[in-house]
Amino acid sequence: MLELRNLNSGYDFLQIIWDVSLHVNEGEFVALVGPNGAGKTTTLRTIAGLLQPKSGDVLFKGQSITHRLSPGFSIGGGGRPSGLRLGRKKRYRPASERSQLGISYISEGLNLFTNMSVRENLILGAHTVNDKKKELEALEFVYHLFPRLKEREKQLAGTMSGGERKMLAIARGMMSSPQLLLVDEPSLGLAPHLAQDVFRALLELRARDVTILLVEQNVNTTLEITDRAYVLEHGRIVMEGPSKELKANEHVRSAYLGI
Amino acid sequence: MEAALARRTPLERILINARRKLPAIVIFVFSLLLAIAIAVKAGPAQLLNVIVTGGMWALLAAGLALVFGVMNIPQFAHGESFMVGAYIGYAVFTALTSYLEKHPSHLLSILTPNVGVVAALIVGAVMGIAIEKIAISPLRQRNRSGWVMNTFLLTAGLSFILTNGTMLVVGPNFRGIPRYFDFPSLDILGVNVAVDRIWAFGIALISITALALFLQRTRTGRAIRAVSQDETGAELVGINLSSVHTLTFSLATAVAAMAGAAMLFMFQAYPTVGLRPLYLSWYVVMLVGLGNVYGAIVGGFVVALLEMGSQQFIGIAWADVIPVGLMIVVLLLVPSGIFGSEVKSVQEQ
Repeated sequence: MLELRNLNSGYDFLQIIWDVSLHVNEGEFVALVGPNGAGKTTTLRTIAGLLQPKSGDVLFKGQSITHRLSPGFSIGGGGRPSGLRLGRKKRYRPASERSQLGISYISEGLNLFTNMSVRENLILGAHTVNDKKKELEALEFVYHLFPRLKEREKQLAGTMSGGERKMLAIARGMMSSPQLLLVDEPSLGLAPHLAQDVFRALLELRARDVTILLVEQNVNTTLEITDRAYVLEHGRIVMEGPSKELKANEHVRSAYLGI
Repeated sequence: MEAALARRTPLERILINARRKLPAIVIFVFSLLLAIAIAVKAGPAQLLNVIVTGGMWALLAAGLALVFGVMNIPQFAHGESFMVGAYIGYAVFTALTSYLEKHPSHLLSILTPNVGVVAALIVGAVMGIAIEKIAISPLRQRNRSGWVMNTFLLTAGLSFILTNGTMLVVGPNFRGIPRYFDFPSLDILGVNVAVDRIWAFGIALISITALALFLQRTRTGRAIRAVSQDETGAELVGINLSSVHTLTFSLATAVAAMAGAAMLFMFQAYPTVGLRPLYLSWYVVMLVGLGNVYGAIVGGFVVALLEMGSQQFIGIAWADVIPVGLMIVVLLLVPSGIFGSEVKSVQEQ
């Protein structure tokens, strides 16, 4: 469903990820782990469209989502590489389109609307959904998944505790009924039992056929619950494979599991 | 915080909330006293004047606060929107009036000022869209560093171009109208009130209500509020930033132009008519806290009251000094403004 091909990305003059290729099949629960500063968030942000890649491509369901060609004309080949393209500029697609495509990014900073109530945040999550009925269904689903959010429906998002905000961010991401969920370090800063709550919620989503790409530093639990994993170090993929295998791997055990 | 509050007794809760809102309470009490003082000294008619101008400043300041909150742009060409509106209102009104002289119609003479206001609204909107798409949007794509300063310079320069351009094209003469409506003044609660003023206040009231409802209840309004609170978050939920920016900017411009047309009976149309509304709406915005739209609405009335108060009690020459002086004092004591700034640090955006 999601494929990264030789992705190079970073900020202005600083390149963070080098030649990253990975894929996530439909229905899979895949992890991207690695140490601090490895480029995991950069990768997710590039997929979400908040960062433009320096080269390489991101494909969603087989189609490139990083750029679209502005209208112009081409001689000879039309859409094929052999043709001569004149007057067509590569323009990057804005991040706001990804939500419509079915991709939701739950950022590390959550990016909640702090002066709005929980309910308003959720309604905004369904901004691209034009069907009022679908919106209410999504709201019901999300409240069922996170009952504590329903309790605090009218509370301002900025006044909620860390764990509740993470729940709200995930819930808001789910409001558009996405097919792919990109989750960035959801357990960061959370007490262990709250982190377990978050992982449990993700597993429940997975049970409902949501494809998930999870970025985490908490390697232990992550490898327990995911199908496959990639290890990112210094901006490069150094290892990949089924989570069970990685858990048994020497390097992983010594570097990330402290065993 | 809420959890901590819940543990206190009701009285303690009231006192804690009161302390948080102290600046607002002080201003409220002060305004009330000032209003009473003005009514006593100069009669209730002046209070009505305050309400009329207050409504206009409220509209102007709300637009300004919206643009700053959503786009982080200090709009210093805001007064020029007012100016353009005044000119459009004048042009439409005089054109329709000369038509009416040949074909008198009671109904049309009532409609005419409203046509002018609507025309100003439309022209203002178009002007706003044009400015946003030509000057601001490209800057945003190119380079976002030093955004606040750059857009300030941009809009200040735009103001310069617009005022001098108008002077060049239309000439510096004042173009005014004696009155909008040809009705005798109404008698409300023993006060003689010109119909023009009631009508202008009515427009302000309707516009403010419409703006508030738009922002609170509609999908687009919610999107605008979302962008002002967290731009990235708004992008992530699928809000098209460039549409929201264009809409917000043109909304602010349109409303300012409408105010310019509605106030034609009080402010004649001339190239630099926008400067005073600009300064006053900026006082309001800085006083209440940058980006705070609802605060700006309240603040518009407060500043109008202050203007009138200083006029009545200190002298007309001081009418502008007092609001500015108060703003300085308030900013020294409460830097985030009376009602609290709603803008995150620009760097966070």
